Amino acid sequence: MILFKKLHTFVFLCVSMIIFSNNAMANTTIQLWHQMIYSHREVLKKVVDDFEAKHPTIKVQVTYRETEELRSAFQSSSMGGSGPELIYGPSDQVGPFATMNLIRPLDNLIPIEEQKKFDPLALVKFNQKTYMIGNTVGNFLMLIYNKKLVPNPPKTLEELIKIGQSLTKDFNGDGKIDQFGFAFNFTEPFFFVPWIDGFGDHFMTEKNQPNLNSKAMISAFGLMRDFRDKYKIIPKECDYEMANSLFKEGKAGMIINGDWSWGDYKSAKIDFGIARFPLINSTNLWPAPLVGTTGYSVNANIEDPLKLKDTLELLNFLTSKETQLIFTKEVSTYPSRFEARLDPLVINNDILKEASKIMEVGKPMPVVPEVRAVWDSLRGQYQSVLAGSATPEQAAQKAQEEALKQIQSMNEELTPGPTLYLVWLLFAAILGFLLFYIATRIKKFLKDFKGANKFPYLMMAPAFISIFSVIIYPFFYNLALSFSNFSLKTFNNWTLIGLHHYQSVIVDPKFYEVFLKTIIWTISNVFFHVSIGVLLAVIIEQVMPKKNLWRTLLIIPWAVPQYITALTWRGMFNQEYGPINIFLQEYLKLSPIQWLSQPWTTFSACVITNVWLGFPFMMIVALGGLQSISPDLYESAKMDGANAWQRFKHITWPMLQPVIRPAALLGAIWTFNTLNVIWLVSNSGEPADQTHILVSYVYKAAFNLYRYGYAAALSMIIFIILIVMSLVVNKINKESKESNS
Amino acid sequence: MKKSLSWFTILLFCLFSLFPMLYVVSISLRGDNAFGSRSLALFNSQSTLKNFSELFLHTPFLKWMMNSLYVSTVVTLSGVILAATSGYAISRYEFKGKKIMLMSLLTTQMFPATMLMLPFFIVLSKLHLINKFLGLIIIYSSTALPFCIWQMKGYFDTVPKELEEAAKLDGCSSFQAFYKIILPMSTPALVITGLFSFMSSWSEYLVAAITLQDPELYTLPLGLKSFQASLATQWGLYAAGALVVSIPVVVLFIMISKYLVSGLTVGSVKG
Repeated sequence: MILFKKLHTFVFLCVSMIIFSNNAMANTTIQLWHQMIYSHREVLKKVVDDFEAKHPTIKVQVTYRETEELRSAFQSSSMGGSGPELIYGPSDQVGPFATMNLIRPLDNLIPIEEQKKFDPLALVKFNQKTYMIGNTVGNFLMLIYNKKLVPNPPKTLEELIKIGQSLTKDFNGDGKIDQFGFAFNFTEPFFFVPWIDGFGDHFMTEKNQPNLNSKAMISAFGLMRDFRDKYKIIPKECDYEMANSLFKEGKAGMIINGDWSWGDYKSAKIDFGIARFPLINSTNLWPAPLVGTTGYSVNANIEDPLKLKDTLELLNFLTSKETQLIFTKEVSTYPSRFEARLDPLVINNDILKEASKIMEVGKPMPVVPEVRAVWDSLRGQYQSVLAGSATPEQAAQKAQEEALKQIQSMNEELTPGPTLYLVWLLFAAILGFLLFYIATRIKKFLKDFKGANKFPYLMMAPAFISIFSVIIYPFFYNLALSFSNFSLKTFNNWTLIGLHHYQSVIVDPKFYEVFLKTIIWTISNVFFHVSIGVLLAVIIEQVMPKKNLWRTLLIIPWAVPQYITALTWRGMFNQEYGPINIFLQEYLKLSPIQWLSQPWTTFSACVITNVWLGFPFMMIVALGGLQSISPDLYESAKMDGANAWQRFKHITWPMLQPVIRPAALLGAIWTFNTLNVIWLVSNSGEPADQTHILVSYVYKAAFNLYRYGYAAALSMIIFIILIVMSLVVNKINKESKESNS
Repeated sequence: MKKSLSWFTILLFCLFSLFPMLYVVSISLRGDNAFGSRSLALFNSQSTLKNFSELFLHTPFLKWMMNSLYVSTVVTLSGVILAATSGYAISRYEFKGKKIMLMSLLTTQMFPATMLMLPFFIVLSKLHLINKFLGLIIIYSSTALPFCIWQMKGYFDTVPKELEEAAKLDGCSSFQAFYKIILPMSTPALVITGLFSFMSSWSEYLVAAITLQDPELYTLPLGLKSFQASLATQWGLYAAGALVVSIPVVVLFIMISKYLVSGLTVGSVKG
């Protein structure tokens, strides 16, 4: 009782804390969202502090977001009519943002003479207007080599292979390679496309259309495969983190990485040099890294002229010569202002001198929104080549087809179709039904409410009102979106168009494929959750001493936040360094499994992770159920000579049904709808988008390809599938209950 | 034979359940090169607590922790109170619309959460609740509620009805009977419900990411995520942070593990 009184006071305190916790504000607050890496953030903080000291009436709020999240968060917040005044990110976000009218052209805000002081590469243009000013030029890939292992960088591909082979070594003779000649994030298209230019073609045409089905593409595909399988100079499975840490530990002689990594290598005390990608001998051409910029854009939503003035003030400060030189000094970035490049800091920096030479053979980073579709389809096909499920020729052709298809669906501006009437009819029907329902039931309900059942209604009201006030609006918003043409091109003026998206979902064979996978995913997960959970519960309850200890140890997976688990398991599945493969090799003498590069092994990896997450819940539910089984039953069964299995089959399992069934249903719904595990373990559906379940597929459509309408329709379909599923399950439960009694 | 098989199974699964966390521990203790070790040993001569000191001294981690603690506590309390009252009503009374209400609770779990983010954001910004804990608290409490109600209802179903009947004969009102007799008896379920609410808000990321933009207001998952960058994650810091985030929940679990078995009762969908 005393506890409850204390709770009262506590609740009161908490509520008053919420009400009175308003922050004091400076005159203007400018928000700046950025995606700078850790070391750059520190510099940014210093610069912003300096700015605030010089402008006491302006407060700058700096927020970090990871690149992809920055993009989707900025889209959502602009849709809500707000968002940060300044956004800092890579140049390729300009295309989509400008298309959606989220950022404003800078040409009227920054005089042309001022613009001329910048390297044209740092002024990001879209449809002839400047939308972004970069504070640095670069963001490009190059060959980085460890001077200890590679005294002179390879000039040509042949040299690279030779040096690579001489450095790839197994020191202790255990059959595993301890040092690699070469390592890079080769499964990611961004790290792959520079090579295409070395074979004489570019992955985009001058007119920003995809150019994926080329001879050069096929040769480049082949080269990547040869690096891994023929020359064996790169690790079999290598993502960015892996390549990076190999290089930092001196276990890889050369790496392909960008200018952003220099600071990291410096602090890891690696004596490194940089060079161009090696010349391709057969063509005598240089591979061309994409050169871009990261820079600032101004939100289109700013209306207050004073705020705009302050924002520009900050923008000028952040792109000034002084600020650029601070960045150059601290984290060796290459300034975008010509005058800053004359500073001794830049001139005397050997790395930057070399960098400008590398950039000479670079190509500008495309900024049109279409490039996203190109990356996406190229990634899928390229990973199929690496997984051996497509030949380079097939993949090049298919990548081109898919890119065109995706661009088409990204750019389509749908207009209201005949099915729009059906939608209105549907809305009318829902409304009519609700009115009818309320009209017929309200009297009964009111009678009930005023009469005997006033108490339960009052008890329930707060919870149900809060649940439904939070859920209802989003639900109908989504329903409306699913009938709309909301996409990249119609970001600000979407309208209802009808059932188009539902039709395209239903005729898409990919939908059924993903659906099937989702069912396999759900069934296998729930099966393992229940069987492991029940097995462990029975053993703990019936055999083990110190029940509490085992129970506590076994619920730990449940207690750890999911996103941490998922990323941890991804690390554990790594082919070279993950403990799972090390265990398989050292203790079971099996050959390592390439978990994360084949569709089905990746899928299994996701299942294992999710089983790990979910079995403790079922175990606890089953333990609870076991408590209610009377020991007498077992005693009498034993007297009748039933063995352990028979006792389980005839007593334990049937008696557990009432607790296991609802928990399994709930578990199935959660598993069906879980995004974290699939998304994080398979790194958003890799390889080649073949590891999706419906929910991750929706997520991808919405945030990667801007197809909000399509994604909303798909999520409504998921919702309907789940409702049908639980109705069916309930019916089965009911029937089996009736047949039992 | 049967015994040793059982021991083997339990020990195997204990290893299975503990290993990933031990792996995180070992990463957090490695210095700069978080990945890329081929040994299964957790510690070696180079193990260091550098990441932990960095975490507490040079990042606003403590501030984030306080924010998370505040949000989670409020959510837990409101969640437990609301779930207990409505779970009780559903368990004990027959009234119009009960079945629909129970089904609709289940239905709320069926909608893909990611698609709710955009509308959530729009509502919150219309109500000026962006960058306020209140917005986050409202969303967390209501999204955790359906399961909590279900769970409380399931527990109340197991408490004999005769208890309140006796209390009412002694002159208690309906609410008094609930408050004075049933509630104190339901400690295990209340604790478990509280645990669920706590966990869901303690480790939630997506909603927090759209609601909180001021780094001063970050909750732990947001803060932790900021050590991650697309091409330059601070893995050591991340692992150290991950441990610090997980430990309170694990401790909480261990503290109340005696309630877990008796308190977790997922009620059936039918009334």
